[in-house]
Amino acid sequence: MKAIKGVLLTCDSAVKQILLALNEKGSFIIEDLDDYHVVIKADEEWRVRRELEAELEKNTYSLE
Amino acid sequence: MATKRYADEGFSDASFPSKRARKTGDNDDYVDVDEDDFDGPDSAANNSLIPRGATINFSALTRKLAQNRKPNDDEDGPEESSLTSHRKQQDNLVSHIFQDQDFSWLHLKPDHASRPIWISPEDGHIILEAFSPIAEQAQDFLVAISEPVSRPAFIHEYKLTPYSLYAAVSVGLQTEDIIEVLNRLSKVPVPESIVTFIRERTLSYGKVKLVLKHNKYYVESTHPETLQVLLKDKVIRDARVHSQPTDNSIKAATFTTSKAPVKGNLVIPGTKEAEKKKDDTTSGKQPANGTTDAELFTSVVGVDADEVDEDDDNVHAFEIDDAKIDDVKKRCNELEYPMLEEYDFRNDTVNANLDIDLKPSTVIRPYQETSLSKMFGNGRARSGIIVLPCGAGKTLVGITAACTIKKSCLVLCTSSVSVMQWRQQFIQWSNVTDKQIAVFTADQKEKFAGESGIVVSTYSMVANTHNRSHESKKMMEFLTSREWGFILLDEVHVVPAAMFRRVVTTIKAHSKLGLTATLVREDEKITDLNYMIGPKLYEANWMDLAAKGHIANVQCAEVWCPMTPEFYREYLREQSRKRMLLYCMNPKKFQACQFLIKYHEDRGDKIIVFSDNVFALEAYAKKLGKLYIHGGTGQVERMRILQHFQHSPAVNTIFLSKVGDTSIDLPEATCLIQISSHFGSRRQEAQRLGRILRAKRRNDEGFNAFFYSLVSKDTQEMFYSTKRQQFLIDQGYAFKVITHLDGLEELPDLVYKTKEEQIELISSVLLANESEAELGTDVRAGEGDLAGTITSKDFGLPTKFPSVHRSTGSLAALSGGQHMSYVEQNKSANKKLAREAAPRHKLFAKREKELQTARKGRG
Repeated sequence: MKAIKGVLLTCDSAVKQILLALNEKGSFIIEDLDDYHVVIKADEEWRVRRELEAELEKNTYSLE
Repeated sequence: MATKRYADEGFSDASFPSKRARKTGDNDDYVDVDEDDFDGPDSAANNSLIPRGATINFSALTRKLAQNRKPNDDEDGPEESSLTSHRKQQDNLVSHIFQDQDFSWLHLKPDHASRPIWISPEDGHIILEAFSPIAEQAQDFLVAISEPVSRPAFIHEYKLTPYSLYAAVSVGLQTEDIIEVLNRLSKVPVPESIVTFIRERTLSYGKVKLVLKHNKYYVESTHPETLQVLLKDKVIRDARVHSQPTDNSIKAATFTTSKAPVKGNLVIPGTKEAEKKKDDTTSGKQPANGTTDAELFTSVVGVDADEVDEDDDNVHAFEIDDAKIDDVKKRCNELEYPMLEEYDFRNDTVNANLDIDLKPSTVIRPYQETSLSKMFGNGRARSGIIVLPCGAGKTLVGITAACTIKKSCLVLCTSSVSVMQWRQQFIQWSNVTDKQIAVFTADQKEKFAGESGIVVSTYSMVANTHNRSHESKKMMEFLTSREWGFILLDEVHVVPAAMFRRVVTTIKAHSKLGLTATLVREDEKITDLNYMIGPKLYEANWMDLAAKGHIANVQCAEVWCPMTPEFYREYLREQSRKRMLLYCMNPKKFQACQFLIKYHEDRGDKIIVFSDNVFALEAYAKKLGKLYIHGGTGQVERMRILQHFQHSPAVNTIFLSKVGDTSIDLPEATCLIQISSHFGSRRQEAQRLGRILRAKRRNDEGFNAFFYSLVSKDTQEMFYSTKRQQFLIDQGYAFKVITHLDGLEELPDLVYKTKEEQIELISSVLLANESEAELGTDVRAGEGDLAGTITSKDFGLPTKFPSVHRSTGSLAALSGGQHMSYVEQNKSANKKLAREAAPRHKLFAKREKELQTARKGRG
């Protein structure tokens, strides 16, 4: 089996649920460790970060 | 249309209040550098000149300031160059940070430290240092000329708008006075753009008045030139009624000229002046008026009524045709001479007087007095809007106004529930008799007996144009056929513009007063009101009222409850409405709610828990074993629950749905927890806060009421919650964010502690119908209730809590064959209350019977 370079993400349980939802659209999770930790593909890290940011931003109210 | 344009062309980019406040903070930082050089002698002089709390004499202040400035100017010669070069250097250092908002070219006055305001030259925003010794006076002035945007503890923000200037002129301020006072208060010379703006706007505003005198409409002005300008217009010329044959070509046609009205001896009942009046009937009214007027007009700082009227004692007027009044009004708006409407009710001999007065025991509070003095400033009734917080006695202001005018009065409110409340309040506070006050709703159509009286109705009953029963048709004829002295409009912010126009055109009223707590609308159509009713006459400062003990001090907090992973997974999967149910039913929220209830019950607080969602309401109340009221709760049960809450020490918490937002008055409540709410409605948030503002215990030393908003983290609720708070934040409330409730885990019998329980809960939520997620499903709208009010959604009675449980077993076992019996779990605590209603005391029963017979006799 080919080795895949991974990144360990530490997050809270809600963010992990978002990650799981994102994962259904395009798979990037290598290993789902527990409620607070996941290992994802290193190449995908920035894309995931961006999408996560966008998802969280939806719940923020700003004056503009 | 025309009015909308004013609003837009004024300042277009004025929508970021908090950002602006921050920016000025920065400005202060960099201008403070040379403060030390200058503020020494000046500020000392000013401070000694202006004792805190005293009415400030501005002319004296300017004289002093001018004196101080002169010597400064003289010796400035050598200093100037070093100062300017120093400034230039500074400017270069920082200007790039502010980019196009670099206002360093506005040079500070030498004594800026003692002056409290700063005006933005671009959009007319005014920043006030609320901690300045003269801030109180400055505030009074700013409230008169501008609209408050945000008023937290230390820095206030106001905004000059065409409408606020219009309002300023309408309460008797003059253009030059406004500019002069602004200049005195401002840290920088008032920017040229603002001066021109004020001049432009006030030039035409308020110069023309529409007066109903002896039942004829007159266009009145202190400036004959203005009337001539108007008469050049064809529409207006045609509408003019000629009392004598005059040639139209002569523009200097005869105007009726008379003495300008002064406040004279008009007494608003219930005020100090009224009391004084009783005391010194012999000593003559002149001295009494002199002193009390000063008190009454503290808001119109430094401008005496005498000064204002000094140069034009005479008013000029021409009469116009009743039928064309609408055209003229519209035309005047287009010509940028909007008309002020005033009602000279004391000289109205045509309409019968209504003999009502406040009861001697009724005393109105200082701010209510101030708001009324704005309305009756010159002895006439001005039309306009008064904004007071919930629980600060809006109703009493309305009733006092009606008692001052003493003419027939029409009160319009939003729902049939509040119709009855208004009627009851009128009877409570004034000596109006049962015969003089009538109610016009879908169920009750009464007329008052006699020449004059009060009718209480809803907007939609009056505005409805089709499908009328015979009775209401007759009632409408009664309403439209007569002339009303006064029309009181409750909760003006919810009335749709079209409906409003219909009301205003069908009912002939001399003066209009709008009342509201929250002059905000989610659709931003608030400016329409300015032109349909009149300018905002008065807006109270919530923090101020709280500090003076008129409303309770409230600690606001937003509690963040993390979503459990299971709930969040479902939340991400679900769409729209069900999502809401998921974040309401979040087990962590349950726990937080339980914890807060426990904590506050132990402190001795009475708690109201609000939930818009009926499904959640029942689930919470049943789980936590508390009483609850929603739209489906019967009247008897409801009364019983409320009685227990008010009097029984055993019942300290009740759960309320939307029905509690406005129509239930509970002065016992001191703590409020909100678990679900109507999206981002700022008004609902303010209304709910209003439930605890009138707390009975508010005058106790160090008493605080508590307002908690439970929010599920990482959900849409966070967005709505922040949006909802904006109005209260602008009123100066601060929301603390609580991310973790200390001691929550240690709470014995904490609900939904185990994963199994949580999973059971989620399955019950998922089983719930889509319709359960609807908000406010329990409140049935009465016929004639307005959209946008709490009762606007009619989905009938709520369906029962679906507690489906699947288990395997033989038929024999299920039917009880194996000694199995069923127990109702999760019982509603309501059922445990004593079944029988509290027996009515004989006295009240008798009284009710008598009232009923009296009513029958009249009808």
